[in-house]
Amino acid sequence: MNVAVCVKQIPDPAVPGSLSSDHTLDRSGKLILDESDSYGVEMALQLVDAAGGGEVTLISMAPNDEVSGLRTALAMGAAKAILVSDPALAGSDALSTAKVLAKSIERAGDIDLVLAATESSDGYTGTVPAQVGELLGWPALTFSRHVEIADGKVKVQRQTEAGYDEVEASLPAIVSVTAGVVEPRYPSFKGIMAAKNKPVDKVTAADLGLDASQVGWAGARQEIVNVEQAPARQAGEKFEDDGTGAEKIVAFLEQLKVV
Amino acid sequence: MRFAFTDDQIAFRDAVRELLEKECTPAHVREAWTNATGRIPGLWEKLTDMGVVGMLAPEARGGLELTMVDLVLILEETGRCAAPEPIVETAAFGVPLLERADRTVATARTLVPWADTADVIVTEAGRFERDAVELVARPSVDGARRLFEVRGTPAPVDGDAIAAAFDRAVVGTAAQQCGLAQRMLDMTVEYTKERRQFGVPIGSFQAVKHHLANARIALEFARPLVYRAAATLDPVHASMAKYKADEAALMTARAALQCHGAIGYTTEYDLHLYMKRSWALARSMGDGRLHRSRVGAAIL
Repeated sequence: MNVAVCVKQIPDPAVPGSLSSDHTLDRSGKLILDESDSYGVEMALQLVDAAGGGEVTLISMAPNDEVSGLRTALAMGAAKAILVSDPALAGSDALSTAKVLAKSIERAGDIDLVLAATESSDGYTGTVPAQVGELLGWPALTFSRHVEIADGKVKVQRQTEAGYDEVEASLPAIVSVTAGVVEPRYPSFKGIMAAKNKPVDKVTAADLGLDASQVGWAGARQEIVNVEQAPARQAGEKFEDDGTGAEKIVAFLEQLKVV
Repeated sequence: MRFAFTDDQIAFRDAVRELLEKECTPAHVREAWTNATGRIPGLWEKLTDMGVVGMLAPEARGGLELTMVDLVLILEETGRCAAPEPIVETAAFGVPLLERADRTVATARTLVPWADTADVIVTEAGRFERDAVELVARPSVDGARRLFEVRGTPAPVDGDAIAAAFDRAVVGTAAQQCGLAQRMLDMTVEYTKERRQFGVPIGSFQAVKHHLANARIALEFARPLVYRAAATLDPVHASMAKYKADEAALMTARAALQCHGAIGYTTEYDLHLYMKRSWALARSMGDGRLHRSRVGAAIL
């Protein structure tokens, strides 16, 4: 069984991010594997392992031929990667991204299942997996907290507010997984050394047959018109304790229905 | 000749750092102070799976046939998070000595840390199998680093091999001291940026800055000696490294304590976990006196 995993390489969340003048996130520095994607990579490795054959292919779209995050996932055990890097893709919205990923999955060929995170840790649109499914004409199962392959079908437990739904679909399909679906492994030293020699297929939008007018700023149907700071947290109300402090705390907690 | 670490060596270090930041947090180390073994359950297996423990073992024995230069940055990381594991004792000392990576080794010149959880114990007297010795627990300043007196009849071990293993452990311990110094310095820099007095962060006071600068200088002078000793494995280089790394760690511990003020003295605050490890390691694998005399004998 061959599994493709959509992985995003994002600016290190530990470093304060900055915005470019066009309101997009500055991605010029070193990018790392989005932690939410490490669950998909681990899930893919386990599914391929359980199937007894096949390989894991990574699909990523990133500026400046960035491969740092891909190397991490390759070190975990993925076999190869397709990296789409093209200045024409700057400004791509979620749908343009989905077009690029869908074309890349077609390029990978012979893919039985695509895994993706529920949403990226820097964009949070959460719409790309369903869009990729639609573009490919494949079923899209989202918010999966458990994934298994049986009888040529993919069966997932789809997280809901109350619990989970059991959903299944025929293959090929795309599945988005939640954090915690599996515990991602740490890459071993042998994996790190091997990752350097694993193939990364670097392609442009044109290589995928995408016209420049369909992607990037030109193809974007979303426009970021302004960015504002999130409102600062309001200062709490201060009481001087005149002997009735405990009662005030209890009244406050009652109001919150905590007690 | 290139006097810098390779991309692989940096990548190994980063991988270990990421693992330890998740699996060896201050909360984990704190718990090890009071649990049954002083170690962090499951951490050894994760380090083994990653390839850390067997780095220096021959490939045929499941190792990676790497060198002390590859290992030194990783041991620095284990120091940075005060990993309560016999990693210097096993990866640097025991694995090349026994030429196998599947046995946990405990070793020391006097009281042996984590001897109760090891498979093999090696002292200057020789080699002991764990199940053939009597262990007597002794108090340690570092609650996670359990110390034992070892009683039993040792099997002889080649003296030259022990000496070489000791020097590797000296370098490894020095690397851990650098990591500890870095951690304590980082904690203190963060703290002095947040703690305010007279309306400003205390880190803006020159007297506080001087402490931190002195610690940084000591660390920056120690590190190259540690890296050189890892490359040459010369006993005198190892002694220089250990002496200066101990000095850096002890000086940083003192500066950190001073700059933290009263909170630094409390066991509820994390600083003591790193400070006490640095005190313990300064007396482990040869103290300052031993290493000064080894350097002295070589140059006089």
